[in-house]
Amino acid sequence: MKKKIGVYICHCGGNISDYVDIQKVKDAVKDEANVYLLKNTMFACSDSSQKEMVEDIQTGQLDAIVVASCSPKLHVPTFRAVAERGGLNPYNYVQVNIREQSSWAHSDNKMGATEKAILLVKAGIARASESEALIPMKIPATNAVAVIGAGVGGMRSAIALADMGSEVYLIEKEEMVGGHTADMEALFPTGIRGKELVGNLSSEIRKRGNIKLFTHAELIEKKGGIGNFDIKVRVGEETLPLHIGAFVVNTGFDSYEPKKGEYRYGELENVITLPAFKKLIDTSEGELVYQGRTIKKIAYIYCVGSRQDQMGDNKYCSRYCCTAAIHSSLEVKRKFRNITNLHFNRGIRAYGKQELLYNESSTNGDIYLQFALDSIPQIEQKGNKTIVKVKDILTAGKIVSTEADLVVLVTGMVPRRNDDLVSLLKIPIGRDHFFNEIHMKLRPVETVIDGVFIAGTCQAPKNILETINSSMAAAAKANSILTKGEISLDPTLAMVNPAACILCDKCFSACVFDAIAETEYEGRNVAKIIESNCKGCGMCTPVCPTDAIELAGFTNAQVEGMIDALSES
Amino acid sequence: MNTDYDVLVIGAGIAGEESALKLADMGFRVLVIEKEPSIGGKMILLSKVFPTLDCAACITTPKVSETARHPNITLLTLTEAESIVKENNELFSVSLKKHPRYVNEQDCTGCQECERACPAIVEDQFQFNLVARKAVYIPFSIANPRIALIDIENCMLCGLCEQKCPSGCIDFTQKEEIIKVKVKAVIVATGFKLFDPTLIPRYGYGRFKNVITSMQMERELAPTRPFNNVLRPSDGKTPGNIAYIFCTGSRDQTCGNAICSQVCCMYSTKQAQLLMGALPMADITLYYINIRAFGKGFDEFYMQAKDMGANYVKGKVASVTEKENGNLVLRYEDIATGKVSEQEHDLVVLSVGLLANPAIVDVFKNETLETDTSHYIHQPDLLQNPALTSIKGVFVAGTATAPMDIPDTILSAGAAAAETSGYLKLQS
Repeated sequence: MKKKIGVYICHCGGNISDYVDIQKVKDAVKDEANVYLLKNTMFACSDSSQKEMVEDIQTGQLDAIVVASCSPKLHVPTFRAVAERGGLNPYNYVQVNIREQSSWAHSDNKMGATEKAILLVKAGIARASESEALIPMKIPATNAVAVIGAGVGGMRSAIALADMGSEVYLIEKEEMVGGHTADMEALFPTGIRGKELVGNLSSEIRKRGNIKLFTHAELIEKKGGIGNFDIKVRVGEETLPLHIGAFVVNTGFDSYEPKKGEYRYGELENVITLPAFKKLIDTSEGELVYQGRTIKKIAYIYCVGSRQDQMGDNKYCSRYCCTAAIHSSLEVKRKFRNITNLHFNRGIRAYGKQELLYNESSTNGDIYLQFALDSIPQIEQKGNKTIVKVKDILTAGKIVSTEADLVVLVTGMVPRRNDDLVSLLKIPIGRDHFFNEIHMKLRPVETVIDGVFIAGTCQAPKNILETINSSMAAAAKANSILTKGEISLDPTLAMVNPAACILCDKCFSACVFDAIAETEYEGRNVAKIIESNCKGCGMCTPVCPTDAIELAGFTNAQVEGMIDALSES
Repeated sequence: MNTDYDVLVIGAGIAGEESALKLADMGFRVLVIEKEPSIGGKMILLSKVFPTLDCAACITTPKVSETARHPNITLLTLTEAESIVKENNELFSVSLKKHPRYVNEQDCTGCQECERACPAIVEDQFQFNLVARKAVYIPFSIANPRIALIDIENCMLCGLCEQKCPSGCIDFTQKEEIIKVKVKAVIVATGFKLFDPTLIPRYGYGRFKNVITSMQMERELAPTRPFNNVLRPSDGKTPGNIAYIFCTGSRDQTCGNAICSQVCCMYSTKQAQLLMGALPMADITLYYINIRAFGKGFDEFYMQAKDMGANYVKGKVASVTEKENGNLVLRYEDIATGKVSEQEHDLVVLSVGLLANPAIVDVFKNETLETDTSHYIHQPDLLQNPALTSIKGVFVAGTATAPMDIPDTILSAGAAAAETSGYLKLQS
């Protein structure tokens, strides 16, 4: 049957058109079967372009549209909504990615990028020609959320969710809530003590009947999908089954533990980490004494475990440590007399208002020395004296050598190993080994697993304010989805033609989501799809020897049409 | 309690949009006001965004159009809050001033016939004065709403636009409108101001044509750029040796802004990468105090710029002087050698900082919206409830609280939505 397809080629400003010859693409695809309308646009996603498409669909009575632009990850929802506003079924929309897959991938070969774009667009037109209207299945959603981790972030997520009307299960692996913050004293910039902040959050949690806190608890099983997860939580000796709609994962960070010998850590007893130093400040009174030695002169060495070279795993900046070290250095001066602070840093990153603290420290007489990664401070022990030596950038590379009673290694954050949770929830991990969001700006608290949200320092190093903001943002996102009471499932699901099925078992072993079961059909057993488990991944379709399985939205006719178009050249 | 809207969101940059969308998704009725003729704030005017180098338009337009179209959101552009009074019943009585567009919003098709007809030429504020626009104009090509308005201050009242407009939507009789609404909660998302570099005369901005701001460079690099290439203003020459002066108006008590603006290191690094792509022969030198590449993927992005050949020079620039050919000589303290040095460049970009935009506090008539020592909206319970302000029922989002980058702004706006939703649930 002849179809009317509207095809739009996006310049993406110059992101595509600087490399892909848009006119050539247009010329090459204009005579493809079913192409009724062909346009190029500066930004297909801009409001005016969207309006134009809606009008085109209505006036041209289009059967399908194709937009050749960026990754479907970015704009499939945008253009499905355009199709819908024009009166089309959203699944009669096909996105072709000529940015990530053509212009960006082949920016060194404009001709090749153009040729590839042409083929991709032709394939997209072929897919749209065979596209069918699909109706998303609506299922009831449970407005209950499991928050994993009861540090300050998880606690704040729980409170926000409860206030917005969600049932909350707050699951903490340790005996006590509060995570790292519970061990901290005065916090920057308000001066509130870590214990006090945790105490406040705890009492807010106790006030709310719709938060159930489980300590010494762990998630051990998960089934189902967004809106309806069936989970099991081990609490002490017991196992508790729960029904929830979403997860907010807020499992926090670990402090970097220096290797033995790194800045003489583990070799000299007066080389300690920043968290240990903070404890020392808190527990000392009158005079600052460590291992029997009175401490007057303190050397802080920054970026330990962060911003490492090729030899280290941690390329990233840990964000919070510059300010944390300066804050501690001010605290120690406030609490004890005659303290000298020497900061061996790699460029102080006291961003935003934290600059005021850095100012205060400099005005107080703290000394800042700066080193580069290729000439890090050397620590030597001479008799009972510890000497720190550095080539100081700030004095034109002078070698500065000074005694120190205590060396504080300003250690950063490292991703917490959470292998069981990661494999249970299938949380994606980034290059830096922290959990990865879908898109830092568009969808900063969502993961590619629907219904699994992330917040706080499990995602990246953050300070407390940033942790709280992201924890509340994750709560808002989860609640805004679950509060409607129902969720549409993507109709891109596998379908079994029972007449053709020979129950060979191949699809069962291909499916990783336990979405295939047996059923009876005309007196014999055949495969069937459990729709709430099916993710539409398509693993089952190619293994079926009798072509009895089709994937809606990627039917055999569609995929074969795409292959034909791609193999034309 | 019967009100017109549950929430008033003041400002439709990315923070206001994000807060409004989250609340609207939860089913609240949201009124969003924006004083500019288009929503999208500053982000919609950017080129690409760090550290992913996504184009800003691609990232921001989905939220812009969703805001404009959401069934639970009412959007008023060219509208400012004039007064907000808290009533005894916890409601806010709001008086809004909607400035006339002199164009009928429903009928304008954005065909730009009026622009072509208009004889009055003025500096284009949305291109940061790099080029001119007409007195009747569409703010920029991806504006939302993408319709015309008349800048009446510069209009000669010749009537040519009215004659040429095919849909007859020019209307010189429009008057300022006062709109009164009652709302249960307010979100302040009024963003930031850019530092005005004429306040540092020794850098020569405004006197030397080839000294531009980072926002002007942002426009030169944007897909909707005015010249379709990177040019220097004095003679239209392609620059071959570009300098960035970091911390222009930040970390500088002499111009009244002691804090760090948090984004300039990274946007300058981004621009350097884009320039190395656009002008492969150009040398890029960045004069900095400290590089603050602290966020997710930022330090890696900074290392990438260095690997691409960007020349980072640690040292504060003291002054800029202009040569006859329009080139500029920078006098700076070269930390590496410990000496005062001079270097010639043919284009200088000032990495201008962010400043608080506290004008909104005057709008609150019977309660005080407190600000902090840096003039940002004060957050009295910063570490536990960062969206709270000194007024119960008034919440704050994004750069109204502090300088921050786009990801942090989005998260802060999400937090404001969560706080507001919880407050509204408690009220009802």
